[in-house]
Amino acid sequence: MSVLPFLATAIVGAVIATLLRGIRRLGTLVGLGAVVAALGAACLVRPDTPVSIGGGALAGSDHLRVVLTLCLAGGLLVLVVARLATWQPSAPGALLGGAAGIGLALGLAGTPPGLLGAAAATIAASALALASPAAPSRIRALARELRGATTSLVVGLIAAGILPVAAGAAARAPGAAPVEPAAAGLVLLGMALVVAHRFGAIPLHARVSRLADAAPSGALPILAAWLPAAWGLIILGWAPAALGPSSAGLGLERGLVVGLALATLLLGTVAALIQDEVEHVLAYTIVADAGVALLALAALDPAARDAARAWVLVFATTRTALIGWTIAFRAAFGTGRLRDTAGWLRRAPALGVALAGILVAAVGWPGLVAWDARLAILQSATSGPALLLAYAGSLGAGAAMCRLLVVGGGRPSAIVAGSLGELPRLPARPVAEAAAAAAATDGASSPGARASAFALAGRLRVLGTAVGRDARPMLELNRVPLRAFAAILLAGLAFLVAAGAFGIDAAARAPGIGSLSPLVGG
Amino acid sequence: MTALLLAAGAIVAVGAAVATGARDARIASLGLASMLVATPFMADPLPGPLRVSFGVVAGILAGFLVFVAARRVPGRVGPPLGLRATLGTAAAGFAVGIGATAIALPRPGPEAALAAGLAALAVAVGPIAIPRDVFRLGSGLIVLVGGAILLLTALTGTPEALTGIAEGIVLVALAAAVAAVTGGTVTATGGTAIPDDMPGRRAAASRAGGDVR
Repeated sequence: MSVLPFLATAIVGAVIATLLRGIRRLGTLVGLGAVVAALGAACLVRPDTPVSIGGGALAGSDHLRVVLTLCLAGGLLVLVVARLATWQPSAPGALLGGAAGIGLALGLAGTPPGLLGAAAATIAASALALASPAAPSRIRALARELRGATTSLVVGLIAAGILPVAAGAAARAPGAAPVEPAAAGLVLLGMALVVAHRFGAIPLHARVSRLADAAPSGALPILAAWLPAAWGLIILGWAPAALGPSSAGLGLERGLVVGLALATLLLGTVAALIQDEVEHVLAYTIVADAGVALLALAALDPAARDAARAWVLVFATTRTALIGWTIAFRAAFGTGRLRDTAGWLRRAPALGVALAGILVAAVGWPGLVAWDARLAILQSATSGPALLLAYAGSLGAGAAMCRLLVVGGGRPSAIVAGSLGELPRLPARPVAEAAAAAAATDGASSPGARASAFALAGRLRVLGTAVGRDARPMLELNRVPLRAFAAILLAGLAFLVAAGAFGIDAAARAPGIGSLSPLVGG
Repeated sequence: MTALLLAAGAIVAVGAAVATGARDARIASLGLASMLVATPFMADPLPGPLRVSFGVVAGILAGFLVFVAARRVPGRVGPPLGLRATLGTAAAGFAVGIGATAIALPRPGPEAALAAGLAALAVAVGPIAIPRDVFRLGSGLIVLVGGAILLLTALTGTPEALTGIAEGIVLVALAAAVAAVTGGTVTATGGTAIPDDMPGRRAAASRAGGDVR
């Protein structure tokens, strides 16, 4: 029952934010306010009695609460960073629409309804983010997203539908009987294709890179991180129960998936290390981590599934933080090209701190959820030299971030030297003078009025006027430090998630409603 | 296989072929609507009245949204295959589906759903595999989802109402997205052709064009 208020808040918020996006200031306020309201509703999601809808069920869970809370909290911070850099009217509506779809997809019982919900979320968020204002690059990206989400849905639906036929009536109870190996192999490959496409595994990686080019950067967290995470959670939650009993006969198919995962991990890392645009570095770190998602699928192991439910949160939160960082970086220097921004650390040390925090969160160390969950996935799916390769490749995102830091430590380029620093700045007219001016313009120049101004109410009124008058120039002057501060907050959020805060580990192990009926719709 | 199921299957197959093969975009949208409206009836046993009504209303709404988009499509744009070739493809897919009854699969769904689903998938492959036009691509995607729903019905039996509701939501969301992207493409380029990928650096150009500073 606790999911319904969230869904209502998010959907209404998405509609209102989209309708008001043409009005710059009001649209911004309403969009951010709607995200805050949806975040509050997401915090109230809890495991409760499933609501019966049309023979199926909708219910909250601890994991769903964590997913929605992190998605909206991270998305909100990215929106703030983006708003301090540029105006992206479609981003709040896309975030809210996507979050509502994720809530629906992960809250519904059964794989087909979950896949349908994830597809609806992807379609809605993509259309809200990319359809307006229309530009050729956005049209291309939207067409690509619609095609990808729809074909993924079709492959997933057919794969989920084949299993009961292949195993007979016994398979309608999850994991009740092994499926014929040929059918199980086909289903595994189909689902691997869906995971690979949604996360952007090589050779299906073009989607992520083009999306990073075309989408409003404020909408990238939902499009490039959280929606793929939702697809992954649905499929990874389904696979061990549905295909686990047949895993002994799936050696070749699992080998193929592991091979694709290793290629993605290694080639994605290489691609991230040779990119020149920070957005492309970000995109290829997402591509590289698609390999970990594929390994989690190939494991067909409940332990790997639980680890993947925790790892997906770390993945999505760290990429959200990195998206916020890239927005702040591009806005600070006016370009995202690394060859033009050598030595950026000298002018933006706070951004350096934020990037170091994201790096630590993405890589982690033994004992942290980020590290342990990733290692558990790798060990479940690989062994021997393959495990070594997977381990090396899984650190690729960290290597790409290290490269960014190394570039920042060089000699400052002309662009960097000419950019604004991160120190806070005050307007030419100090606040005290502004307060006096405000009092003067309010008619407080006479002795009686001046005496009343010293009363509490008068002081508050004068202070309010002064703050209101000075807030805008102060904001304009301090966009750079404010963006850096928000990026540090994002890095802090990512680190908390990597450390297992918010009860992530327990939430990942708790059974969700999706496990009630993984094979049959409803 | 009852005559009603066979008739509904034929309507679905012909509607899918018209949706992807008709030269006039408005006629294509009408074919799409007829396909989507007939889809909820492709089940044995027939789902409850609420589920059927929801499916029919969702189909009409999706068809209307695509029709709205079709009004903005320039008349000169046509599908790569003609209507007759597409109808032939749909007929071939339908025949293959009916022929599958010879295989004794333990399939709880009706054979007509399998046949109609295969027909829809067969005609949807072309505009999706080689996308040149956003309207044709969008119509093909909706036909593809409709075909997949029919295949799922054939493989797992009559879907529960929740699955049917989710299917309706996806179809309407997809139709709305098709309407939005078609309108946006006509506004931005004057036609419905998908703009080609530009060589070289795309990031700066797309951001400058998209974000309002």
